[in-house]
Amino acid sequence: MLADVISTDKKNAFLFCNEAIVRGALESDVKVVAFYPGSPISEILDTFYLISDRFDIKMEIATNEKVALEIVAGASMGGQRSLIAMKSVGLNVASDTFFSLGYTGINKGCVLVFADDPFCHSSQSEEDGRFFAYNSYIPMLEPSDPVEAKSMTKAAFEISEKHQTLVLVRTTTRINHQSTIVPLEPLNRTEFIPGSFRESNKKYATVGSKARELKLKMLERRELIREDFEESEFNKITDGTENIGIIVSGVSYNYVLEVCSKLKINPPILKLGTTYPLPKNLISSFIKKIKGVIVVEELSPYLETNVKVLAKDSNLNLNIYGKTSGHFSEAFEYNIPIVFKVFKNLYKIDTTIEYEINLAKADELKSILPVRIPVFCPGCPHRATFWALQKAVTGKSNEIALINDIGCYSMLLLNKEIYPKLNGDDFLLSMGATLGAGSGISLAAQEKVISVIGDSTFFHAGLPGMINICHHNEDVVVIILDNSVTAMTGQQTNPGTDFGTTNNPKNKIQIEDVLKGIGFNNIIINDCFEAKNCIPSFRKALEEPGPTVIISRGPCALWNDRKKRKRGEKIQPYYVDQDICRKCHTCMRDFYCPAISMDSHEKEFTDDNGKIWKGFSSHISPKLCDGCGVCSIICPYTNHEARSEKDVIKIYEKKREVRHDL
Amino acid sequence: MTYNLMTCGVGGQGLMLVSNVIGIACAEFGLNIRTAETHGLAQRSGSIYTHVRIGEEIYSPLIPYGEADALLGMEANETLRYIEFLKPDGVIIMNNYMWHPVQSTFNRVQDAANTYLSIKTIMAQLEKITKTIHLVNATEIANQAGNPLTSNLVLLGALVKTEGFPLSLNQLQEIVPKVVPEKAITANLKALLLGYENRK
Repeated sequence: MLADVISTDKKNAFLFCNEAIVRGALESDVKVVAFYPGSPISEILDTFYLISDRFDIKMEIATNEKVALEIVAGASMGGQRSLIAMKSVGLNVASDTFFSLGYTGINKGCVLVFADDPFCHSSQSEEDGRFFAYNSYIPMLEPSDPVEAKSMTKAAFEISEKHQTLVLVRTTTRINHQSTIVPLEPLNRTEFIPGSFRESNKKYATVGSKARELKLKMLERRELIREDFEESEFNKITDGTENIGIIVSGVSYNYVLEVCSKLKINPPILKLGTTYPLPKNLISSFIKKIKGVIVVEELSPYLETNVKVLAKDSNLNLNIYGKTSGHFSEAFEYNIPIVFKVFKNLYKIDTTIEYEINLAKADELKSILPVRIPVFCPGCPHRATFWALQKAVTGKSNEIALINDIGCYSMLLLNKEIYPKLNGDDFLLSMGATLGAGSGISLAAQEKVISVIGDSTFFHAGLPGMINICHHNEDVVVIILDNSVTAMTGQQTNPGTDFGTTNNPKNKIQIEDVLKGIGFNNIIINDCFEAKNCIPSFRKALEEPGPTVIISRGPCALWNDRKKRKRGEKIQPYYVDQDICRKCHTCMRDFYCPAISMDSHEKEFTDDNGKIWKGFSSHISPKLCDGCGVCSIICPYTNHEARSEKDVIKIYEKKREVRHDL
Repeated sequence: MTYNLMTCGVGGQGLMLVSNVIGIACAEFGLNIRTAETHGLAQRSGSIYTHVRIGEEIYSPLIPYGEADALLGMEANETLRYIEFLKPDGVIIMNNYMWHPVQSTFNRVQDAANTYLSIKTIMAQLEKITKTIHLVNATEIANQAGNPLTSNLVLLGALVKTEGFPLSLNQLQEIVPKVVPEKAITANLKALLLGYENRK
């Protein structure tokens, strides 16, 4: 709970892991933080956003992870403790600066929290970021729960200042998205006093001969840190009686403890918390005493490979069970049943617990269930845009190539059956890739390319691609979905928003001004909620040689609802007027809004010629409807032009009493 | 002793509040708790869940299949979707409410023979795992409490009466005012109490 994150009481609090990381940074007197949002770390910046003014913390939601890393590194060089958090793929974006920082080091404590996403809950790849530490010589800590996440965030600041290096705290989605009881320690905040970049007399330049000199120093630094890590409290050996031991890190540690308790086995366990540089002596002394070792870690065999190398010198006959032996997979998340199965077999335990049977029975019972895949929210501007785009490409859907990008609009990929003419599952790579790849496809292929990108992604990684499109006069239609916020990750600010924290007032950057400045002549701005009016501009853009840019503008429904509620405005839901509804189902077939469902019973109705028909009417849930009104625009039987929106709402209010929710 | 509770529903139903109330109560009254939650896609109307584990000997944030003592479902489809976590003969507290996924509507448009599932059909499946199913008219009770958005607290109230649940009604009543917005305290407390009293 937020109140606990900032509490000065000495107590045990129920904290979400991302809150615990913020608390750890606060207890470490952090002064500058910078981020680009991304699941599973978004709540770290959301929490800072709510408290930064109170603690005199300078916070920036930066254009992208690389800029954000440069901000916190610069702040450290300028004399302030700083922290950044990003998702795994964010570190790819920041990696150019990241590797150089390994060489130059920093000044005041500088901590980078990054979260891998085994199972790709909300990411495009399941990459193992631990190799970033290995490759950059930057030390890394790996918590296994929120308590450790807080302690390690604090320890990271100390290690950072002692060894003058950036320090990584590596989490995974299951670590970030759990809550538990976390002990709060004192909040000794100091006043923000500007530091000095020059007075520290440090150099942060690396190239050629300077880089060669720094590389040697960096290797020395690594060994000094390794010596510290040999003694670290974050590595823990639990003695046991089995001759097969366990080496484990991260969230898997929890599964190991629980499975051991279930199987009533007592193996020696080495739990590693400092996973780069690895405490080689500690690992060697652990594996010396056992016949075999099970290495439990999600994703790549990072620890396992290192254990193999160390076993060559310390225990040549050691049996190593892990991924290369086929006991564990390199894919997806682990859980108790996965670890249970491997341990049961290796420790040869008879047990009556049968997780697979439970799961198989449940799967059978659940086979009747409809899927509930993520869809655009009621009132989402993207639904309106894609409705209009699908209308515009009707008849020539084979002649277009829709190239998608990262954001809420990525959900086109999951909703393919609803937008069959858009082939939204053809392409999705990485932030901003729609523009470069769109250009390449337009050079190579005969289809007309439509590159789709959101406002936040446009600012994050779209500018180089946009400049390239303009510079080379590419035959591409770029649709910029401008919903005013970084919606997918929880509606954070981006350069196009006009709000920020008190400490960080924002200058709103208008996308069309940027485009004009680049040199685009053909810029169309649509109000996407006027969906019918958007069709001609899409058609025209597809017929003309590019580049053409269409800004499809309309605020994120979730964000706009919050603004409305703050202003005390009511959200006025629409309803289906049974006098008008001809049961044609256009609203359900073509619009796919979660607020619209089909009545369970057929109704009789009379058409304009007096003929009586039967059919299932559609129904709008007043609880879910956002009042965007696009369904009434696309309804073939609503003469929308003749009726102002106000009139419709009036009719609604009159009939409100007799309407019920589903 | 460990008490495992699986909660589930549809994004926007206030599931997170339920685990927060339980978690903060545990912190206040000295119980150990660990939860794993769904976050990520910020969209409404997706399937969501929370694993709640209370007790001294808990390590994994995830409940193993077949080990949840209770399953609290804010929506019927979603209750069945997480049934693998419930132990045989465990307790189900289920909202008498269906929020049909938009995919079902789309399928009905393709062919009117594709009907929506009914609570009855869902119940029949759930009964193959347990006979202890409490179907709660949470929306109706929440309206009686004065706020239709308090269905979540109605279900929590019903859960508290379950044997083995480690927190008491009094304890939760003490915590709710600390967690919900000030103007919603009365309705939420009333919802919690009505949920408790209505549970047979």
